[in-house]
Amino acid sequence: MSVIEVRQLAKSFWIPSAKRETVREHVLHVFRRRSFERLDVLRSVSFDVQAGETIGIMGRNGSGKSTLLRLLCGIYRADSGSLDVRAPLTPILELGLGWNPELDGVDNVMLIGTAMGLSLREARESLDEILAFAGLERFAGLPLKHYSSGMAARLAYSVAFKAVREVLVLDEIFAVGDQEFRARCEARYRELSARGHTVVLVSHEPRIISTFCNRALLLEGGTIVLDASGAEVVAEYSRHMSGR
Amino acid sequence: MHAATTPTATRIDIRGMLWTLVRTDFKSRYHGTIGGFVWALLKPALMFVVLMSVFSLIFASTPHYRLNLIVGLFLWEFFGESTRTGLISLQSKGYLLTKARFPSWILVVASLSNAAITLVVFALTFLGYLAAIGRAPHAAGLALFLLYLALFSLIVVGFALGSSVLFLRYRDLNQVWEVVTQAGFFIAPIIYPLDIIPERFHIYLYLWPPTPVIQFSREVLVDGGVPTFKAHLLLIAMAAAVFAAGAAIFRAWSPSAAENL
Repeated sequence: MSVIEVRQLAKSFWIPSAKRETVREHVLHVFRRRSFERLDVLRSVSFDVQAGETIGIMGRNGSGKSTLLRLLCGIYRADSGSLDVRAPLTPILELGLGWNPELDGVDNVMLIGTAMGLSLREARESLDEILAFAGLERFAGLPLKHYSSGMAARLAYSVAFKAVREVLVLDEIFAVGDQEFRARCEARYRELSARGHTVVLVSHEPRIISTFCNRALLLEGGTIVLDASGAEVVAEYSRHMSGR
Repeated sequence: MHAATTPTATRIDIRGMLWTLVRTDFKSRYHGTIGGFVWALLKPALMFVVLMSVFSLIFASTPHYRLNLIVGLFLWEFFGESTRTGLISLQSKGYLLTKARFPSWILVVASLSNAAITLVVFALTFLGYLAAIGRAPHAAGLALFLLYLALFSLIVVGFALGSSVLFLRYRDLNQVWEVVTQAGFFIAPIIYPLDIIPERFHIYLYLWPPTPVIQFSREVLVDGGVPTFKAHLLLIAMAAAVFAAGAAIFRAWSPSAAENL
């Protein structure tokens, strides 16, 4: 049974010749015409993801990977096509960035945990486990502005791994933290995968895709150019990158 | 062709998230100290005492005027602060919007909490004062005052919903709103009695939402009267219209909010 069904999904961004982001600019330049350049980030992308499957997505920078993930997560809205996600989904995207720097570790866990689908009670009960997974028990009361970027990212991934629902969407998940933390993430990921969670995983790292994904997609210029096994996609991606 | 996008939403503990947002907002505003918490609650009560003392000296011969002035100032303060924070609410919590999927109206509603707490403390202080001087409003007056506060809140929520998504597209909207509220302070009859304006202009002043709320509140709390049934219907219609307009703008533009951050 497919839990994600994507049909001819397309997404464009309109880039104006001159930016107008304020009321003042709109009023002052009301009679000045501006042109728009259409940037097609995704063009007619179609694929299915079966329940329990781990699917990898590879592609150069700008090939549309992150936009595709944001569409899957409902953070962006598609221009056309259809997207059906039939199970609750937990996004783990760019988590190292953007916390509330004035709040301490505990409050940030509560904030992002509840935003990611943990109930307040679950967030409270899992607090020690989350901090232990991130290896940040000693710094729980410290405002985030005093954390290093690696520490903040570790905390974010720990929360997200706790908040996991049926489908997991991961963006460059294993590029965070030191070797020990990455190993812990990989172990946790294997555990979730073994429990039958469906996983959509974006990575530039060939080892990650070939190790974890039984199937992968290669995106190029906003379209899927290859839908094959992880190993085949890795080989093709390496050929693309070396320009052969 | 339009996209038929149906990502299944992860179930969100809305109450839990709302509480966490309110609590952390409060904490960062008052540096998470007990003193800060007490100050937040005491501030409107102390402001009341200061204003009352000053106005008792300046307007000693016109007790109604000073009470009316205080009601006007506090209701205006609620309107000014809540619309200001509501307008920037999505932008200031943008880091959550780009990482998780949850109903984004939660961010807007949570941003109004501080102004709401101030208003509640003021209302309790003011009613306590009226009771102490033997001028407690009658039960119907009290119920009507609560109705006005509820309608005022509905107006503010509607404004905050609409303006929060517009602010992501028009980045100086907060500055425009600041100018509007400065003018609005004088449009609403806060420091002057409405009677000094010719009656034929009253209708225009009543179109500015704080005006009917302030006037009606004064009537039930200070003057002991009750506005007409028709006046109430018009206020309800205004609150419903502002809320509906704000909600419609929010509904149309909030799905693409993350793209405009």
